[in-house]
Amino acid sequence: MSETFPVLSVLTWLPAGVAALIALVRLGFSGPAFDAGVKAATLMTTLATFALSLFVLAGYDQTAGGFQFVEAFSWFGAIQYKLGVDGLSVALVVLTTFLVPLCIIASLRAVTERVSAYMIAFLLLETLMIGVFCALDLVLFYLFFEGGLIPMFLIIGIWGGKNRIYAAFKFFLYTLLGSLLMLVAVIVMYVQTGTTDIVALQTAEFAPGLQTWLWLAFAASFAVKLPMFPVHTWLPDAHVEAPTAGSVILAGVLLKMGGYGFLRFSLPMFPDASVLFQPAMLALSVVAIVYASLVAFRQTDMKKLIAYSSVAHMGFVTLGIFSFTVEGLQGAVFQMISHGVISSALFLIVGVVYDRMHTREIAAYGGLVHRMPVYAAMFMVFSMANVGLPGTSGFVGEFMTLAGGFQASTLAAVGATLGVIFSAVYMLTLYRRTVFGELNPAVAGIQDVSAREVAVLAPLVVLTLLLGVAPGPVLALSQPLADTLAAQFAGLTP
Amino acid sequence: MSQDLLAIICVFAPLAGAIIAGLGQKALGDRASMALTTGLLFLAAAAGISLFLGHAFGDHGGEGGHHATGAHVVHLMRWIDIGTFEANWSIRIDAISVTMMAVVTSVSALVHLYSVGYMAEDPHRARFFSYLSLFTFMMLMLVTANDFLQLFFGWEGVGLASYLLIGFWYKKASANDASIKAFVVNRVGDFGFALGIFAVYTVFGTIQFDPIFAAITANAVVDPLGAALPGPVRSLGFEFVGYTVPALELIGVLLFIGAMGKSAQFFLHTWLPDAMEGPTPVSALIHAATMVTAGVVLVCRCSYIYEYAPFAAAVITVVGAVTALYAATVGLAQNDIKRVIAYSTCSQLGYMFFAAGIGAYQAAMFHLFTHAFFKALLFLGAGSVIHGLHHEQDMRRMGGIWKAMPLTWGVMLIGTLAITGVGIPHTQIGFAGFFSKDAIIETSFAASLKAVPFAEFAFWIALTAAFLTSFYSWRLAYMTFHGPYVGGHEHHEGHAPAHAAHGASPDAGHNIGGNPSGAHEGPWAMRLPLILLAVGAVVAGFVFYDAMVGHHAKDFWGASIHVAADNTVLKDKYDIPEWVFWAPLVVTVAGFVLASIFYFFNHGLGAKIAARGGPLHSLLANKWYFDEIYDFVFVKGIARLSDWLAFVFDRKVIDGGGPNGVAALAGMFARVTSRLHSGLVYHYAFVALAAAALFGAIVLGQMQGAAQ
Repeated sequence: MSETFPVLSVLTWLPAGVAALIALVRLGFSGPAFDAGVKAATLMTTLATFALSLFVLAGYDQTAGGFQFVEAFSWFGAIQYKLGVDGLSVALVVLTTFLVPLCIIASLRAVTERVSAYMIAFLLLETLMIGVFCALDLVLFYLFFEGGLIPMFLIIGIWGGKNRIYAAFKFFLYTLLGSLLMLVAVIVMYVQTGTTDIVALQTAEFAPGLQTWLWLAFAASFAVKLPMFPVHTWLPDAHVEAPTAGSVILAGVLLKMGGYGFLRFSLPMFPDASVLFQPAMLALSVVAIVYASLVAFRQTDMKKLIAYSSVAHMGFVTLGIFSFTVEGLQGAVFQMISHGVISSALFLIVGVVYDRMHTREIAAYGGLVHRMPVYAAMFMVFSMANVGLPGTSGFVGEFMTLAGGFQASTLAAVGATLGVIFSAVYMLTLYRRTVFGELNPAVAGIQDVSAREVAVLAPLVVLTLLLGVAPGPVLALSQPLADTLAAQFAGLTP
Repeated sequence: MSQDLLAIICVFAPLAGAIIAGLGQKALGDRASMALTTGLLFLAAAAGISLFLGHAFGDHGGEGGHHATGAHVVHLMRWIDIGTFEANWSIRIDAISVTMMAVVTSVSALVHLYSVGYMAEDPHRARFFSYLSLFTFMMLMLVTANDFLQLFFGWEGVGLASYLLIGFWYKKASANDASIKAFVVNRVGDFGFALGIFAVYTVFGTIQFDPIFAAITANAVVDPLGAALPGPVRSLGFEFVGYTVPALELIGVLLFIGAMGKSAQFFLHTWLPDAMEGPTPVSALIHAATMVTAGVVLVCRCSYIYEYAPFAAAVITVVGAVTALYAATVGLAQNDIKRVIAYSTCSQLGYMFFAAGIGAYQAAMFHLFTHAFFKALLFLGAGSVIHGLHHEQDMRRMGGIWKAMPLTWGVMLIGTLAITGVGIPHTQIGFAGFFSKDAIIETSFAASLKAVPFAEFAFWIALTAAFLTSFYSWRLAYMTFHGPYVGGHEHHEGHAPAHAAHGASPDAGHNIGGNPSGAHEGPWAMRLPLILLAVGAVVAGFVFYDAMVGHHAKDFWGASIHVAADNTVLKDKYDIPEWVFWAPLVVTVAGFVLASIFYFFNHGLGAKIAARGGPLHSLLANKWYFDEIYDFVFVKGIARLSDWLAFVFDRKVIDGGGPNGVAALAGMFARVTSRLHSGLVYHYAFVALAAAALFGAIVLGQMQGAAQ
């Protein structure tokens, strides 16, 4: 049926189409009633997109594997408009379409200024994010990949906090530096092979010397996105200044593009270079895990703490990927999905109290459990998931990437496993300072989560536990890719 | 009823209780939540005990019995399946698991019942009972695991429940500190445990118990996934962080690090005394009878590994013995009634470990079994005292309450006789601890005759610690129940309002003549568990001695415990000199006599010695300064490192040298080379473009090089 109905194109462009419509209508209307209508339309659109992505998920034939729902026609020259999904893309697309409606619901009250522009930015962002995971042409991928920067830049820069301008530029320029290098690499690859088809390029077999440089150029971009140590410092600033929904998308989806890039491009297209850089990547992963966990421990701003925790958790992703083992690769994909759920949830959790108190300072809270028992219970679930407690989704990804990493380098695994201790230290300390203890008089009047907030957080609680106990469906999606890559690298590593 | 169904009821009834009471606490209310969880726990206990009795007294050794063929496994669901990494949710039914299921569910059921009385005034009872049931479920998952991952799930799950229950009174800063300390110290252990599991998986390509144990028994050739070349598993060299070490030794030591954390062994013991911040029923269930014994279960479960890992086994022996002695010395000088019992727990766990280390896994499990009853009894008895004295825990403010609390006094005496191991050698007469502790002491002597590493060391420590155990246990009994009452309300006015609100003792304070303390027994919900546990503390030893460590031990444990052909310590314990049988009794009596002189006949002598102090007393009273050292080295050290990394390195070095520095540098460069507007954006953009251009040039050069 994929031959007849371009489901991926519809999925990708539906949010942008609605955004264009809103932009048009906006010319003639304004006011609270219009804003309410825009909110409703945006929510409906994102829900429809989610439903459509579930349809793709259901239709994806796992036994066949490979790229499916492929649409391709020539665009200009060798460059094609080509979309298609494999298990990895499907998983990330569904994660994206699942998180966006939650973001919209979370923003319904929080965003009061320039509502329609905000919704347009989010819808555009959704299109670009889905496009990244569906694009099967290098140039198309690059356009989606870089295009996503703009709405995110605006979301931070317009609806962000006090230092939003600095944070927005830092975010933009850091990622731009990486992408320019990637652009050069894309051009080189086209010149070399005469094609920009991603599927074709995976079997292009570049010369080892050239691979090294291409690998570095792509890695510069992906490492910044992920982010890896030492190019991570844009992330805490961006998170702190971004509105809650912006943080959710940043942590939940945008960071995953880095991991996706390594899996889709670096490993299959530049295998020799990947092997060459394996020790460095393993080392940087371990440093990210240990270093970011230590830095997180003494933060005084809740969002900053969770941002550094994100850096640590993404370290497990690169550890797993560069172990070149089935366990590590599948663990890395799972960790991406799981982190998308858990870190999003944690940013939403911070958002709940930020909306009430307008501060993210840990010291401004304390004893929240006395007034917000339901909130405290949900926060506990996500804290434990972030700590990687077995039975939550956080455990599966961490444990499997470590099991893969152990086979590649016992030393790296020992270092990375230290993260198990440190994550408990910073997370339990955060929880204790904000939720437990005597009630801080400053928050004496605070209200427990509303029905709307429960509607946002409850699905994440369920998903965190469900994926922790029965991760099978997600693992099955990543299996063919992991098997292929592991087999490819089995012959390359000593 | 089928065995499978019993096992499922036993494991999942507590989970059902935890979920319903946890989610429905508002709808159900406290009373219904308590009744539900407690009822379900008694159901689980009935199932667990019938499984256990069916095993102990059923037809074992017979043809087709599960003992001969190993474990019977109830498969529930797939958990993780990646490559050859396969983890399942299942219930493994064998001797170790049914023994633990019976212990866990029966003690837990009694603790639930006891808590109905003990926690009667707490506003969050539904939450408390939900946590207790959750803990029980996690503990059952741990003991019934059929692979290392489910074991790890239960392992960390009980850690979560322990964390939640230690910090149950979340207003108290000390309780919050203690709960985090418990979780983090346990995580240090889990760090080792996790690495152990990775090593197991890398060596065997599976984490399922049966294939791993079968490979070791057969010394099969394994083909590791990395870090080692194929070879017979018992002599496999494994490359670990640059060193080549025997694979089984590595696995053994790493797994034991996990056990050290969970079971509060020397170096990782500091969390257990602090865990006493939690409500006393929690201390009884989690921090005495069940969770802290998980490490012993792990080591016994892995007897297949330790039998062929002599170095790892020796490490266990030494750490266990040192802990047994260390904790006993600290126990001498503590004044908080719960802390004395906590150190006593630590010490008894040390006994179990060195027993396992010398190869007497059965004796370790037997002591675990009897200890669960008398230690739960001692804790719940202490809870009864604390409850009767309106939250007083300092033994220096107790005394003389035996008349006011005759039942508590009676059961505490039984508990004391049990833990000190009173009994007559070569007869069936003795308290539970007598049979199990003497089995350990005798096997360690027997092992020393066979030159098992550190067995002789362990034997002498065991005797010394037995003496100390007797001394501190009787010290506790005397300080609490005998002599004059030295509490008095004038000492703690702060408790008066709480006392008035107590309601259960309206006559307190009026009855100066007969009962100056105002002490009173708790309600029946508290008394009944005490009586039942006291029965256990009397009979658990002689009833199960033969089955667990006597002539039927091999039939009882079956394939759940593996002993190598040359390991005969359990049989050898019959062929030891007569004095070894009597030595434990002698030191126990000596400890009793000495404690009686200090704390009974010369009341106040012990306090005087303590008051005079001296370096030895300070050392013991301050727990050998472990907390101070750890606080300085780890807690403060990591905080300082973290501060430096967060506020100096990350901000100044990375940001300062990276983006901000590059921007500044590029700004200078730009001003010199062109007339670009200054400003962050342009600087960045300039750098980005320059980098891209440079890169393009390099790649172009490469391509030309490749083309030529």
